[in-house]
Amino acid sequence: MEKIVLFLKRIDRRWIFLLIFLSCIIPFWIPSLFNQKFSTSKETQRVYDIVDGLKEGDAVFIDWDFNPTLQAELLPMAEQFIKQCFDKKVRVFIYYPFISAISLGENALVNIKKEEKYSYIENGVDFIHLGYLPIYTDMMLFSMYSDFKSTFGKEGKIFKGIKTFKDISYLMSFAGSNYPESYILLQRRFGFKMGVGVTAVSGPDFVPYLQTGQLDGMIFGLKGAAEYENLRISHGAQKKHNMKANAGMASLTLSHLIMFLFIGIGNFIYFYEKKYKKSN
Amino acid sequence: MDVFSRYFIHKVNTNLRILNMKKEIPILIGVFATVGWFLEFFFAGTFFENWKLFFTRGFMSVAVVGLLVGIVNVLLVNYSKIKYNNDRWYSIYQMSIILLMVAFASLRGVSPGTPFDAMYTYGFIPLDATVFSLLAFYVASASYRAFKIKSVESSFLLVAAILIMLSKMPLGEAMWDKIPVIGEWIMDGPTSAGKRAIMFGAYLGGLTMMIRIAFGLEKSHLSD
Repeated sequence: MEKIVLFLKRIDRRWIFLLIFLSCIIPFWIPSLFNQKFSTSKETQRVYDIVDGLKEGDAVFIDWDFNPTLQAELLPMAEQFIKQCFDKKVRVFIYYPFISAISLGENALVNIKKEEKYSYIENGVDFIHLGYLPIYTDMMLFSMYSDFKSTFGKEGKIFKGIKTFKDISYLMSFAGSNYPESYILLQRRFGFKMGVGVTAVSGPDFVPYLQTGQLDGMIFGLKGAAEYENLRISHGAQKKHNMKANAGMASLTLSHLIMFLFIGIGNFIYFYEKKYKKSN
Repeated sequence: MDVFSRYFIHKVNTNLRILNMKKEIPILIGVFATVGWFLEFFFAGTFFENWKLFFTRGFMSVAVVGLLVGIVNVLLVNYSKIKYNNDRWYSIYQMSIILLMVAFASLRGVSPGTPFDAMYTYGFIPLDATVFSLLAFYVASASYRAFKIKSVESSFLLVAAILIMLSKMPLGEAMWDKIPVIGEWIMDGPTSAGKRAIMFGAYLGGLTMMIRIAFGLEKSHLSD
């Protein structure tokens, strides 16, 4: 036993890295490895229902607050949200608080347009990239409540009937940080409806706001994105273009199992050594 | 710096020192801005509408100047590194990438399909995603070496962490359908309570800072 413990204790971290790497990669080659079904959380359901309840011609404001760093988790949910808006003929305004996120959002819309179902969408009519403003969110909100269009200096048919931010039906912030809090701080004052799509790590930060009703819904991590995909598929969306997050669920499961294994081994070594010291 | 500029700066500094306004002007700006924004919250009106837009546009101008200062700073730092051979090749690489992207953006724009977009899609995206994904490997290694049941508190932490992780993967629900319910309870109850406590503390600290700035007591932002 001592030899095993000594071996485990001296295990090189590169072996751990290799195992994690394989646990992330292998499930993409064997998609049926962990194919368990899962239920939809009420937070995800709420976001879906709100968009589903919007009428043709309504407008949503998307705060695209993520770089390629977080695209594995947040891009699938953002794409699904935008596609659902297009299904409902809802106008989409996309704002980027980071300069480096703009091209990611533009490419996402180009990819959505490649799908036959959304080939009709047009920049400036069905959606618009509002770009980046070097100001704080509260200042931007004040400006949007004064004059929405001139805040961003953009033109297009999409602005028809949108004078101030009051004419926006829903605000959705996709973020991997606490950035949406800057909107939430002014949510009570202006009374706009908003939801968030966040990474699994930053999700717990927003649970109190769900409880107070400041947030209407939350898509939470890769599982939340997969739940959203399943909701859209169950309402008639094609599986072919809407399985990005679901494809990553097996990888997520196996890598977590490997983590459990390492935590177990670490604790086994700790208790064995403790017992060994006591007996000597 | 030429003689005239030196003389001008010296004169301005001397006059400000005589009037003792070098610190007082920034403090006064702080006081007016804090009181203004505070009052604005309670009394909405035309004056405050203009006030808000004035600050919004003013802040944008300052941010653009800040961006310019940043660009000049990057150029100067890298120029001196190249000149004195201090990691010269890294600086040459950085400068050439920056200048290349600026040139592409200026000549062909930044929309999808342009050379700038190609550099972003095939260069920036994979590099940015790779750097963040390294976190998973370090977390796994750290969990092996540090996540140990050394006390009652740490055992609570470990059990909660495992339950949350199980609730966030399909296998957890397949094992026992109550796992997501337990995970949700941990998030809604203990986690949310802890988060609220931290937020209360942070916002009380923020309020104290606001009062200190409003009364002109806070001078740390003036390097005092």
